[in-house]
Amino acid sequence: MNSTSRLIAALALGAAGAAFAQGNPPTTAPPNPATAAGQQNPSGGPMGSTGVTPQNTQGGSTSGSSSAPTAQSSPDTSSSSSSTMAASGDTPAMRRARADRN
Amino acid sequence: MNAVTAAPGAASRALAVLVSLSLLSLSASAPPPPAVEDAQWLARAVVATADNRAAPFAVVDKKNARVFVFDTAGRLQGSSPVLLGLAHGDDSVPGIGEREMSRIRPEERTTPAGRFRTEPGRNAQGEDIVWIDYDAAVSMHRVRATVKSERRLERLASPSVADNRISYGCINVPAAFYDAYIKPALGSRRGVVYVLPETVAPHERFEFLSRPA
Repeated sequence: MNSTSRLIAALALGAAGAAFAQGNPPTTAPPNPATAAGQQNPSGGPMGSTGVTPQNTQGGSTSGSSSAPTAQSSPDTSSSSSSTMAASGDTPAMRRARADRN
Repeated sequence: MNAVTAAPGAASRALAVLVSLSLLSLSASAPPPPAVEDAQWLARAVVATADNRAAPFAVVDKKNARVFVFDTAGRLQGSSPVLLGLAHGDDSVPGIGEREMSRIRPEERTTPAGRFRTEPGRNAQGEDIVWIDYDAAVSMHRVRATVKSERRLERLASPSVADNRISYGCINVPAAFYDAYIKPALGSRRGVVYVLPETVAPHERFEFLSRPA
C-alpha cells in the first residue's frame, strides 16, 4: 500500500466517523420531562406540600369558616326510590372535614 | 397561669361527665316521655315502608327537643334530650353552610326538618361527628361547652324544653349518649335521620307517609 492509498483510507475513515457522529445530534429535549427536569411543585414550594391542607389547623372551636365548593341543598325528602340513596349499611368514603354549625 | 386556666376546663369536663351520666341514666331508667309516641309512630311508618332501607335511623323531635335512636328493625334503642338551633323553623337559609358562624343571624339559626341521609365525618377540629346535611354544615355531635355563656350543659340538664334552643343548627347530644347510641348506630355507616318539622305537618316533609305500606 502506497502513501496515496493510506491517505485515501484515512480520509474515508475520517469521513465515516464524522457522518456517524452527525447521525445522532445531541438534544436538550428529554424523553420524559417529568423525571428529566426533576419532579417539581408547580407552585414553587417544596415537594409534599402540594396537597390540600387539612382544615383542622384552624384556630378556635366554633368560628371556623368553610370553603366547601358544594352548594346549599334542601333536605332529602325523597322516598326510597331515590337513586342516590345509599343508607343500606354501606360505609361511605369520608368527606373532607369542614366546620359544622355547632 | 396554667393552673388558673386549667381549673375551669377541668371543672367543665367534670360537669359535662356528670350531666352526661345523669342524662344517660335517666334515659335508660325513666319511663318513656310523651314525645316517644310521635317518634314511635314515625318509626313504625319508616319500617312499614322500608324507607330506612335496613339502615339504623334516628328521629329528632324538635318540639320536645329529643332524639330517638332505632335499630334497623325500628326497635327503640335509646332517647335523650338534645340542643337544637336557636331559631324556630324547618328550613336552612340557602348558602348558610358556606358562611362563617359570626355572619349567621339569630333568626337563621334553624335546625332543618326532613329526611336526611347521614354519614360519618369529621369537623374542622377533627372531631368525629355525624353529618345530617353536609352542604348546610348541619351535624349531630357531642355537646360542646366551649362558650360558657351559652350554658349548653345546663340547658341539656334542665327539664325545660324551651331552653334547648341554642345552637347554630347542629343537634347537640350528651357525650355519653352519643358514644353509647349515636356513634354505634350512625358513626361508622350511613343511616337516616328524620327531623320532625315544627312549622308544618309531618306529611309535608316525609313523602313516605303518603305511600301505602
